[in-house]
Amino acid sequence: MRILNSICIIDDDPITVFGIKKILSNVVVCQTVSTYGNGKLAIDDIRFNIEKAGQVPQVIFLDINMPVMDGWQFLAEFIKLPIKEKVRINIITSSIDVADKERWEFYKTQSHHMITFNNKPIKKDEIGQITKVA
Amino acid sequence: MLKSASQAHFGYLVDQLPQAIAFFNKQRKLIYASSKWISDFKFERHDVFGKSIFQLFGKQGKNWDDALKQCLQGNPEPRHIKRQFDDSKSEKWFEWTFKPWYDEKENIKGIIIQTTNVTEQVAQQHHYDNLKMLLAEQSKLAKIGTWHYCAIQDKLTWCEMTAQIHEVPEGFTLEPDAATNFFKQGYDRNTMARLLEDALKSGTPWNEKLKLITHKGNEKWVITTGKPVFKDDKFVGLAGSCQDIDFQVREQVKSLENEKLLRTLIDNLPQHIFIKNLQSQKILANKAEVEFCGFSDESELIGKSDFEIFDKETAEQAREDDLQIIKTLQPSIDKEYLNICVNDKKSSILTSKIPLVGDDGEAFGIVGIRMDITHLKQKEADLNSLINVTSEQNKKLINFAHIVSHNLRSHSANFSMLLDFLVNEKNAEERENIINMLVEASDNLLETLENLNEVVKINTNTSLVKKPVVLREAAVKVKQNLSAFLQNNNAKVINRISDKINVPVIPAYLESILMNLLTNGIKYKDPSRDPVIELRAMKIQDNTVLSISDNGIGIDMDKYGDKLFGMYKTFHNNPDARGIGLYITKNQIEAMQGKISVTSEVGKGSTFNIYFNENS
Repeated sequence: MRILNSICIIDDDPITVFGIKKILSNVVVCQTVSTYGNGKLAIDDIRFNIEKAGQVPQVIFLDINMPVMDGWQFLAEFIKLPIKEKVRINIITSSIDVADKERWEFYKTQSHHMITFNNKPIKKDEIGQITKVA
Repeated sequence: MLKSASQAHFGYLVDQLPQAIAFFNKQRKLIYASSKWISDFKFERHDVFGKSIFQLFGKQGKNWDDALKQCLQGNPEPRHIKRQFDDSKSEKWFEWTFKPWYDEKENIKGIIIQTTNVTEQVAQQHHYDNLKMLLAEQSKLAKIGTWHYCAIQDKLTWCEMTAQIHEVPEGFTLEPDAATNFFKQGYDRNTMARLLEDALKSGTPWNEKLKLITHKGNEKWVITTGKPVFKDDKFVGLAGSCQDIDFQVREQVKSLENEKLLRTLIDNLPQHIFIKNLQSQKILANKAEVEFCGFSDESELIGKSDFEIFDKETAEQAREDDLQIIKTLQPSIDKEYLNICVNDKKSSILTSKIPLVGDDGEAFGIVGIRMDITHLKQKEADLNSLINVTSEQNKKLINFAHIVSHNLRSHSANFSMLLDFLVNEKNAEERENIINMLVEASDNLLETLENLNEVVKINTNTSLVKKPVVLREAAVKVKQNLSAFLQNNNAKVINRISDKINVPVIPAYLESILMNLLTNGIKYKDPSRDPVIELRAMKIQDNTVLSISDNGIGIDMDKYGDKLFGMYKTFHNNPDARGIGLYITKNQIEAMQGKISVTSEVGKGSTFNIYFNENS
């Protein structure tokens, strides 16, 4: 069992959140697992945590289609944050739209963070792979 | 002496003869001559007697010698015509007659030569021969023959040319009564018979173009003329001519036929064809061009310039191009013009203009061919708008396909994941938890399918027809249906739509649109104030625009403007938001060929504008 400090799950679908959490519990031990219903809630909280405690999530699970602020808008905001550490951002989506893949390719080149693209449903082995600290 | 005296007496006698006569002895020496003879040949009286004929006239050739010799032997030849030149070198013709000169004992003692000045007759003969030859030539060239009917002998005579025209063989016996039978049976023969009758009865001459059938069976056009001949007021016959004009008539007919063919051809072409002179005046126009210019007959258009047909700008442009073509001799091919007729009729015209170049290498006119492509242009515009609609539809379809694929995939991914958990889960409590989630996932899927189905129905149900609806009344009805909801939210709806505005809509869609936009305005109200919604309608360029303004929380247009009407796009943390309402509203408006737009300001409110399409 790996041990991590902080994981973020950003998804408006409670079933997906449940699934990710359930698989995570089998592969890692994590002190804090925060979940957010959309990108706006997530970015506000992450920004707050950085400013207040200098705490940065090590792994982020990010959905694309969300209300208020979607995954891409979150990503655009997140890479602007002054974070020295390399954060692993796992895009988890049911989208098989080529345009989404192209946007992922674009964002990959825009920051030092590790960004992966994963299609739902998420499998246990996969979660194991993508939960390693970047 | 007696003899000499009688000789002198004889000489004196001869001298006075009115004829030109001369007596030569056997040695061909002149013994006696009449004064007339001497003066005819311009001899001198004292210098002529005793001289030989050869001294007087010089050598005259063997024939003459022979004739003289024969005469002395008693075999005179009848006559000789000789040309003679006098001092002034003018030509004179004399007829010579040699006769033997007998003495009392019938012995030939010399030759009597009588000469007659025939210069005038010869000249006349020449003139006559020339005329005859000219006439024959003329008759041959003009193919004019003559004929003559002698009533006394009942005999019809044709000249050679007339016979040739009738193509009769040599030695053909011509019966006067049969002559009219050469004319073609029917109109031609009847006409000929009538003309002949008129001529005989009332002496009318004729000149008529008729067809005849020749002896060989060929049909020929001729001009026949004729008139009765009278002698001492008594009818003695007929005379006339017959001219073969077959070639000319056939050429004329052919050229008429060609002209008619050409005319028929150009008149039946859908393209407009015209010819202009250097002043850009029409000198020819086919039917299509005449009609296009707003006339009913070509004669009305001939001589008119474009300035009398089209508006000034069109005419100026055309004249400028004409001058350019005349100057450069370069044709202008398929140039597009917007022609505006004097009656304000606008047409898109494709025109080709070609210079008509004369033998001197200068243009003497312009041939124009134009095609009215107004309907093509219209079709092109229609096609373009159809392409736009189609590409819009296509975009919508792709968008819809993504929505379907994404939403169905997300549900199936959840099923797959949850079932995987369930299979491996031993804990009864957790199993139940997973099963509950499966039920939830299943409900979500059903709802998604229902939503998709609703959208599909809007886009595929073409059987719904638009009906005119009084917009104000439709709004009043929706307001009534929502009265409980409005009351609960302390909301106010102000209907400012004039009751005169009538729009063609699918009533069920209009109701759904109004319902959705009114509820949205209240659902996303600003918590600090009571919701107020205002409805307005106005005409913009013949189309009605309905505005629905609220004082709600507003939408950040920079962030969400492009997503507002997307499916499953929600922008507020409102648990009721499903992201389907505006998507359906947009689809319903577009199904009525309308448009929707929005303006909004965060914290102030939003205004939705619905543009109804009243043309289709």
